[in-house]
Amino acid sequence: MIKNILVSVSGSPDSLMAAKYAICLARVMQTKLFIVYVIDSKVLCELLKSRIFVEAEARSYERDLNQQGEVFLARAKKMAESKRVACETFLLKGSVSDEVIAKINEVGADILVMGEMKELSSRSAIFYDEGERIFRKSPCSVVMVKNHAMVENLYKEME
Amino acid sequence: MKLTDFLRPEFCVVDLKANNKEAAIRELASVLLPSGKVNNKEDFIKHIMERERLGSTGIGNRVAIPHAPTQSVNDLVVAFGRSVNGIDFQSLDGDEVNLIFLLGTNPDNLGIYLKFLAGLSRLLNNRQFREEFMAANSPAAIIEVLKKHEKS
Repeated sequence: MIKNILVSVSGSPDSLMAAKYAICLARVMQTKLFIVYVIDSKVLCELLKSRIFVEAEARSYERDLNQQGEVFLARAKKMAESKRVACETFLLKGSVSDEVIAKINEVGADILVMGEMKELSSRSAIFYDEGERIFRKSPCSVVMVKNHAMVENLYKEME
Repeated sequence: MKLTDFLRPEFCVVDLKANNKEAAIRELASVLLPSGKVNNKEDFIKHIMERERLGSTGIGNRVAIPHAPTQSVNDLVVAFGRSVNGIDFQSLDGDEVNLIFLLGTNPDNLGIYLKFLAGLSRLLNNRQFREEFMAANSPAAIIEVLKKHEKS
């Protein structure tokens, strides 16, 4: 039986659509919804190490990302509640893929919903693309949201 | 995400006229104006120079990446300039820079901006990439080098 759905969001239009689809699924399947936003501190560390960023700058970006994450999660929670879906939000920090996988395990998610992944720019990108890593490492089934128009209609029609 | 989605031939200058840091940043900011994504050039330059005052973005290996998030651009913008003679950027290794990437983003696009910087940083760690970028003698050749290394 499917009890828990987890959706990973980043604030992008694709992840907003993923959140809408996850809300629809949770409503239809009467499951609990977990919405996760991860601040990618791994990339900040990488840019500090390569000396493109200075410490104060990296801290400032982290604050801004934290603020954006809070705003997006509040919006997603409001969306879920407007469709009478019980949800819990998590603002995490670290490697995006590691954090999402850990949360799937922690909450016992049965389905992971994620936004559409773009074409990889290179063979080596497979090692860096967090969406790709989540997709491959997820311990539960993954739903990748593709048809935005269909999802938008589904979401709108759901009272 | 592909770097070539953002760095276009029209935003590449193969022979910068500028001979100092601020002039180079100004020259590259001007190149971005036709994109329509820079809504206030002087404010954009001001933010880039403020970031430079925190510490030089001359990261070594004759490369500089001046950058800043600012409301004076509507989206992620990227320009590239090559200085044949080299420009003093107060780089960490003390060398002059030949390859300059100017980046700006609207603060709403921080995620893509960070991914772009990380991707560029990985490419610039590759000596062959830097050498080919330095040798490219037209905007089209620069983009070809970028495409080739993005695929590898």
